[in-house]
Amino acid sequence: MIKVLDFFDYARSESPWMVHFCSGCCSLEMAAAMGPRYDWERYGYLPTPTPRQADVIFITGLVSKKILPVLLRTYAQMAEPSYVVALGACAFDGGPYNDSMSVIKNVTEILPADVFIAGCPPRPEAIISGLEELKAKIKRGEPSSASQGGLWKEMKF
Amino acid sequence: MIEDFREYKKNWLVGKVESSELLEVVKKVKEEYRTLITISPTDFLERIELNYFFTDLESKKSLWLKTDISRENSKIESISHIFGGANWHEREAFSTFGVDFIGHPNLKHIIISSDFYGKAPFRKDFDIEAHQKEVEKHSLDIASNFEDEFSENSDTETTLNWGPTHPASGPLRLKVGVDGEEIKKVSADIGFVWRALENLIERKDFVGAITAVERICFMDNTNSMLCYAMAVEEIAGVKPTPFAEVFRVILGEVGRVSSHFMGIGGFFGTMGLHTLQMWAMDSREYFLDFLEDYSGARIATASIEAGGVRFPLNLETLNTLEKAIEYYESKRDEFHSIFLKNPMMKKRASQIGIISADEVHEFSMAGVVARASGVETDIRKDEPYSAYEKFDFKVVTKNGGSAKNRFEVIFEEIDESVKILKQAVSDIRSGVSEGTYNLEKDHLVKVPKKLPKGEAVSRVEWARGELMMHLVTEEKGKTPYRLKIKAPSFNHTMMVEKLLEGCTISDIPIVFGSMYICQGDLDR
Repeated sequence: MIKVLDFFDYARSESPWMVHFCSGCCSLEMAAAMGPRYDWERYGYLPTPTPRQADVIFITGLVSKKILPVLLRTYAQMAEPSYVVALGACAFDGGPYNDSMSVIKNVTEILPADVFIAGCPPRPEAIISGLEELKAKIKRGEPSSASQGGLWKEMKF
Repeated sequence: MIEDFREYKKNWLVGKVESSELLEVVKKVKEEYRTLITISPTDFLERIELNYFFTDLESKKSLWLKTDISRENSKIESISHIFGGANWHEREAFSTFGVDFIGHPNLKHIIISSDFYGKAPFRKDFDIEAHQKEVEKHSLDIASNFEDEFSENSDTETTLNWGPTHPASGPLRLKVGVDGEEIKKVSADIGFVWRALENLIERKDFVGAITAVERICFMDNTNSMLCYAMAVEEIAGVKPTPFAEVFRVILGEVGRVSSHFMGIGGFFGTMGLHTLQMWAMDSREYFLDFLEDYSGARIATASIEAGGVRFPLNLETLNTLEKAIEYYESKRDEFHSIFLKNPMMKKRASQIGIISADEVHEFSMAGVVARASGVETDIRKDEPYSAYEKFDFKVVTKNGGSAKNRFEVIFEEIDESVKILKQAVSDIRSGVSEGTYNLEKDHLVKVPKKLPKGEAVSRVEWARGELMMHLVTEEKGKTPYRLKIKAPSFNHTMMVEKLLEGCTISDIPIVFGSMYICQGDLDR
């Protein structure tokens, strides 16, 4: 017999909605993945304007010092379970802006990501394949990484 | 009053003034040059040099004034009451170089994040590592002053935060003071994508800087690389081959077209009509296919460098471009009949966000925004670069200056770009068959790794308007000593503040969408 919780994980995994949040250039390829050629909606993904209805937040590339609190607050506003997907080289270690004085290099130490998608910017196919990984993680019923730890819990924002 | 007054290049004059006489000179300058392009400070360790760039959009003449101020007591008279467009540029120089502009109406920090306030981060002696250590010590407090920033309400006026998470805003915040539905005051809070590119480039070599330059804005990144490459070539004294010049035009126009598709998509998306957004992105993909065929990357192509273009061209690649043009042309009439003649759009957008031609001159509007107000300005015609002189195209202008007019200009410009692309493709094909172009060798001319001491100004017509770079190099320099980037969205966002006063809340996305702003080039 399928347990009720398993059913919820299944249902959640087949329609992950992501909050509309962009902080860097990778959002352009995210838009392309939304677009007609790649059309991520056929996999059940949908962007939503409000964090209250969202399951996933994207770290779209670079996060500057100024937008970090916005990212964290948007994440905190999402209902549990809320997952994080890190897009591009910048979200990993600053990428091409690694030397820059205003870009945060360790975003995923602050807000741990469930899936990393490589590229600068990642191709739309890569974004969709990364999201499929996320689906598998949700199906397994694993908790999101950000709920398990990360500096964001100690920060004031 | 102006010393060492001479011609810098065609239609450009350059001279030096004493900082105490600047105000008087600028008042005279205003009679002939009505627009301030930007203010670019350079730190020479014993002094700070301020470069003022003026232009006149009618006579197409430009002027470059230099003045020195001391480093310790870096004060100068503000010119923002003479040139309205100077307001934010002075605030930027104040934030990044700590130059104090006496008499500026609102000299507050802009762009830089709060940990740099009062520290002049772009000065040469700023210790980034020490600052970084200091910040890391307090890393948990980075976000602490957020609470006060985002809640400022008084009894009669409510402050509404439009952005930075609004679906139409992108990373930018408009603090909108509203009384009921009516907008009383708007002030823009920018810097959410500040990557300190101008400083970052100073730590890269001349080739490596391309990766930073192309990331100013990903919507149209080929033209920004072109601008940088032209500046480096001018100092190095290198000229690219005729083939590279023509191919640069192709890359530039493909960048422009793909950016315009995002632009019209964004404009209609903010009105709630997502169909056009989808259609435009569909056509855009075909143009990105061409970039991918040529360079291997859809967006971050790094395809233009000083001396020419990076890769040799395979003639079959041009077939992909022709396919893209064909696809767009098969869709073009549908685009026009459904969206350009859309009665809802006409009604909604023709009365708001009106910019007069005088305001274009005063506040240094550029590109699409300027042309929609009837000012015929296009760097491709005014100061022809690459091979644009060879090709036949017209500058699209509209009278009226409303949101609708800007939308129409973008639409018609796509057609003009397609016209240029077709001519350039046939130029390359015939050049190859006649034997004037050698595709294997002609793409790149060698540029030395170390450049001589020099200064160069280069301007290109970007998708959103004029992009200007001011490059300074040292003797045998391996890295740019200073690169000032002037991008159009900076002035356009300044204008949004003025345009929205008196409108209602529901007008914000349409006016903002029509200004065609990219947050990447706004913050740099």
